[in-house]
Amino acid sequence: MAQAQRWVGKPIPRRDALEKAIGQAKYASDLFPEGLLWGKVLRSKYPHAKIRRIDVSSAKSHPGVVAVFTHEDVPNNRYGLFNKDRPVLCDDKVRYIGDPIAVVAAETPEAAEEALGMIEVEYEPLPAVLDPLEAMKPESPKVHERGNIARQTRISFGDVEQAFREADVIVENTYTVGTQIHAYLETEAGISYFDENGRLTIVAGGQSPYRDRHEICSTLNIPEDSVRVVIPHVGGAFGGKDDISVQIHLALITLKTRRPARLVWTREESTIAGTKRHAGIIRMKTAARRDGVLLANKTEIIYDTGAYEGLGPAVLDVAIENCNGPYKIPNIDISATLVYTNNYVASAFRGFGAPQVLFAIESQLDAIAERLNMDPIELRLRNALRRGDVGVFNNKLIGSVGIAKALEIAANHELWRERGRYKSETARPWIKRGVGVASAIKGYTLGALPDKGQVGVELTREGKFRVRVSSTEIGQGVLAALAQVAADMLRCGVDDIQLVFADTLETPDTSVTSASRQLFLAGNALADAARKMLDKMRHVAAGLSGEPPEVFDFLDGYAISRDGKTRISYAEIARYMENNNIPPHVVGEYEVPRVEPIPGTLEIPHLFYMFAAALALVEVNTLTGFAQVRKLVVIPDAGKVINPQTFQGQIEGAAVQGIGYALMEEAKIENGILKTQNFATYLIPSIKDAPEIEVIPVEDGEETGPFGAKGIGEIGIIPIAPAVANAIKDAVGVRPTSIPITPEKLYWLIRSKHGEKGSH
Amino acid sequence: MIFKFRSISKVLILRSGENLYVRCGNAVVRRFSFVLNGKPVEVEVPPAYTLLETLRNVLHLTGTKDGCSDGDCGACTVLLDGRAVHSCLTLMAQVEGRSVTTVEGLLRDSSPDEVQSAYAESGAVQCGYCTPGLIMATKALLMSNPRPSVEEIKEALRGNLCRCTGYAKILEAVLRVRR
Ligand code: FES
Ligand code: FES
Repeated sequence: MAQAQRWVGKPIPRRDALEKAIGQAKYASDLFPEGLLWGKVLRSKYPHAKIRRIDVSSAKSHPGVVAVFTHEDVPNNRYGLFNKDRPVLCDDKVRYIGDPIAVVAAETPEAAEEALGMIEVEYEPLPAVLDPLEAMKPESPKVHERGNIARQTRISFGDVEQAFREADVIVENTYTVGTQIHAYLETEAGISYFDENGRLTIVAGGQSPYRDRHEICSTLNIPEDSVRVVIPHVGGAFGGKDDISVQIHLALITLKTRRPARLVWTREESTIAGTKRHAGIIRMKTAARRDGVLLANKTEIIYDTGAYEGLGPAVLDVAIENCNGPYKIPNIDISATLVYTNNYVASAFRGFGAPQVLFAIESQLDAIAERLNMDPIELRLRNALRRGDVGVFNNKLIGSVGIAKALEIAANHELWRERGRYKSETARPWIKRGVGVASAIKGYTLGALPDKGQVGVELTREGKFRVRVSSTEIGQGVLAALAQVAADMLRCGVDDIQLVFADTLETPDTSVTSASRQLFLAGNALADAARKMLDKMRHVAAGLSGEPPEVFDFLDGYAISRDGKTRISYAEIARYMENNNIPPHVVGEYEVPRVEPIPGTLEIPHLFYMFAAALALVEVNTLTGFAQVRKLVVIPDAGKVINPQTFQGQIEGAAVQGIGYALMEEAKIENGILKTQNFATYLIPSIKDAPEIEVIPVEDGEETGPFGAKGIGEIGIIPIAPAVANAIKDAVGVRPTSIPITPEKLYWLIRSKHGEKGSH
Repeated sequence: MIFKFRSISKVLILRSGENLYVRCGNAVVRRFSFVLNGKPVEVEVPPAYTLLETLRNVLHLTGTKDGCSDGDCGACTVLLDGRAVHSCLTLMAQVEGRSVTTVEGLLRDSSPDEVQSAYAESGAVQCGYCTPGLIMATKALLMSNPRPSVEEIKEALRGNLCRCTGYAKILEAVLRVRR
């Protein structure tokens, strides 16, 4: 029998929305345990320096101060997911401005703040390396003992040089992409305490409770079952809470003082010490035949990971994997380097390395279309990947591939068909308009690495279900989507699903909430759990009625026999289970199918990809260089939309972050000092900067996903910057190769091209 | 009811004339009276405390959010005598004797205000950290201008940053409750 879909696909408002709107939802920053200590962190003043001496004695004796901790209090003072290169509290050196040196715990925030100023740190400043190209030179000062090359790899297929000789057109450009700051509204925050069973409990904004617990326990050298990590509602994350922030410092305070603690970063602290999107340099040489068929792409990627790696090695992998766009290109050559500098730490940020390289390749495609005098969408369609194709890494695309369909929708959209009219509709001669297009691709699920998750389902006494997932609600609506999926799978109302989430004590490990995969992974594990649960219930129904189990099906909270004569409510089944000591819970599991990673990579290629196309209408004031997005059309390949309202919201939100990335968000770093530390200097889009956004999902169905759904959390941001840049080129005839395209940059770009002609 | 600065019991209390001063570390506290969500309250906090610090850190009324403590994000917006203010920039001395409404104060017999429902139903709430501030800014706008134009809405909400939604659904929510 076909799976009934009563809840999946419905735009029902998220269950947490009202609770948040009335101010009742509790975030980590809203918690004040009784008798708490206020934590504050002392951070480095130098981008690179030896630590000669740390003296905390006067800070310790300051009234109200209970404890001050340094590296001496941390048993294993290095952590990191790929490389344990990051100190919990700095010992030998500081490697960026913001590196933590000491943690103060005091009775009041004022006393903690005052004590920070009383800690004496004697530094021996070292020359800082701030430019990744400089850092790559062997004679450059070393950020870490192992040198400044954190990771370097080269992947090639085919023969690019041969292809360049045979090509009709070759486009070569160097692109630079700036640092982007997550700028979630809730800064990194948490509390810690010993629960009634003596378990050290950390409640903090994060993305993976099990991974956070692992980092806490390995650095503080305590057993994992003595620690509980809970992640409540999180006030935004976008990848920025994938790494450790407050967790280990909080655990340290409570472990040593036996008192509850609270640690909340200030906005400035969040912009300095929080991770960022990698800044980088991307050189690309792309060749095509006269008919538009792409022949070769040679790419050099340099990403600045700052003082520590974080998730940088994996981010670099995603850059490598996606730098050729969603296209068939027979000859590719990629060299990629992840470089340590004394800049701010870069790690995960929505898109995870893809937005940078897609900006490059999609600008390249536009330049080729222009040289060939071809419609840019037609050029993209000619080369677009389709299901069953072999990708650039010789990988067969077995999952759904919706990019051609998305591009066709773009080509037929009136913004594209009538772009001539849109462009002419400007009020003043110095205001120019342009329309640009771009595609996007990104693998989802973690890739070639083992990736497995569990979900628990429990039938309650009332005949409702408790679903346990360690997925985190970072604003993306995964809980609401899972509730809808669960209701359909367990054949009950969506209100009969209670979700317990992100708690190492209460929920099984559903793996990390990143790579746009929670819905996919948790959804599939949930399907397994639902199957097991219904099977169990079928047997109970049989026991209760004397009929064979196979005759029972489930609908609306009842087990119903095939002839419709026997109806047994879920509550009756639950009671029977209780009375007969049948455990009312099951655990479902799902392991993402994967392929062998290709040599030189960590985890690529992925088996599944998400795609999108976008159109942007941009207006440029040629007198000031100020560019503004007037309209966006985003066409994501969604597989199947579980909840249209949450789906649209995810895409719209990502798109506006993309506008910030493309035009506004400039993290100014001078001599290792971040000059844009708050919302007054680091400008993120306001409601005034947000254009009209049209979202048109392609619902081709990914049969391996729950009800055909794909991950969609990240794809929305990826095509925006290149679509905006291509629209600017269309408007003013010059191609921006550096994002963010600030008014200053664009003004000079327009000026510098005045005398020249025919440039790309 | 008098709410006290958190660690009051652990520190020296001094009396001087009418006012109660409490030393805490190097902090001195002072008493302030105002009306909060319709009820009179008195608090004793350091005189340099902002309304936001008082609401969150002392009263633990955490519906009002702290996004920057600096007047740049709007997450802390509350109504002061019916006008929207940034509570992070409002000193307790400015609140003395006046009336403050926070997002919790919009509930009537525990049912949500129409602006709150509109935000929830329009999908204008994702992570929700900006939401209380936006709701209070919307409330203030509609009280002074029940039928705002799209431009007027954008102007009124331009100081309220949201990193999640892209603002489309926020605009939709306000249009839903516009008269
Ligand atoms: S917290 Fe007040 S404006 Fe940001
Ligand atoms: S919903 Fe997250 S900041 Fe607005």
